[in-house]
Amino acid sequence: MQLTVNGTAHEVDAEDDMPLLWVLRDELGITGPKYGCGIAQCGACTVMVDGVAVRSCQLALGDVDGEVTTIEGLGTPEALHVVQAAWVQHQVAQCGYCQSGQIVQAASLLDLNPEPTDAQIDAAMSGNLCRCGTYPRIRAAVRTAANKLQGA
Amino acid sequence: MRLVFALMVAAAPALAQEVVTPQIPREEGLAAWDRIFEVTSHPRCTNCHVGDAGIPMWEALGYGEERVHGMGIVADDSRIGAESVPCRTCHVTSARANTVPHAPPHIDDAWRLPPIELEWLDKSSAEVCAQMRDPETNDGNTIAELVEHLQTSAFVAWGFDPGAGRSAPTGTVEDIARDVALWGEAGTPCVEG
Repeated sequence: MQLTVNGTAHEVDAEDDMPLLWVLRDELGITGPKYGCGIAQCGACTVMVDGVAVRSCQLALGDVDGEVTTIEGLGTPEALHVVQAAWVQHQVAQCGYCQSGQIVQAASLLDLNPEPTDAQIDAAMSGNLCRCGTYPRIRAAVRTAANKLQGA
Repeated sequence: MRLVFALMVAAAPALAQEVVTPQIPREEGLAAWDRIFEVTSHPRCTNCHVGDAGIPMWEALGYGEERVHGMGIVADDSRIGAESVPCRTCHVTSARANTVPHAPPHIDDAWRLPPIELEWLDKSSAEVCAQMRDPETNDGNTIAELVEHLQTSAFVAWGFDPGAGRSAPTGTVEDIARDVALWGEAGTPCVEG
């Protein structure tokens, strides 16, 4: 079936029930999204489908109904997405394993809700676990990105 | 969302229940209601039939008593979590069978909380009964429409067959559809409470 990832159309030869994460990593070599738990409990595999964050480890290829965006498609080192820039500014990452999922989740939040309250930021990011405990910096970076988007 | 509901309520006279002479004895209607409430008070239903706080529950999933949904999930005013994490981030739309324990279940419909007016969590039988017989508080449904909803809703079908070892209320979709029809024919009786 055809799958569009980060603006590029791919012809994918895989079973319908293969999780999207497997397709991205093993079939297409897009390794930004990470495997953590396999049952949507940790958020490391988060990508977007038509702009909405999804847990790609448990979304079957046959159920993908839009264009996929991974961390690789969000911004580039030369032109960072506003959330990526905020992540650098706050030096959020420690080990980094969960961070691609965190950033994609944050970008999806700000797309749907450009002016989130602190409580909404906490609620939105609580599904993305970080064993290094970078949560305070995550919250600060999302706030910075939201302010930047609002032109503050 | 609220506007849509308000418009639905405004249109309610066209949907209003007809006043009919009960065809079924009150006792049989009350017995049917008891069986209905046994289903509606099951955690499989009340985990999502929550009030205006919009916080779904994870009761009867083996995580302990009075557990709220993990990950700080709040469905908020949108009832789909659009303000923070949309339900569909994890509860995808899919007709595939639910086979993985502890994974977010999916159905062939958009996952969402029911309207606030249909709050069942911690409500008594009398409260839910009064709510369900009034189109003002049952999402604008006649009894016939409630029966049809039960027979066609992907949520209801999943509730009786949630898969992956999850607990389910006793009975089947057809059982509760029959009981709601019976309760309706008995004049939707409720015990005082």
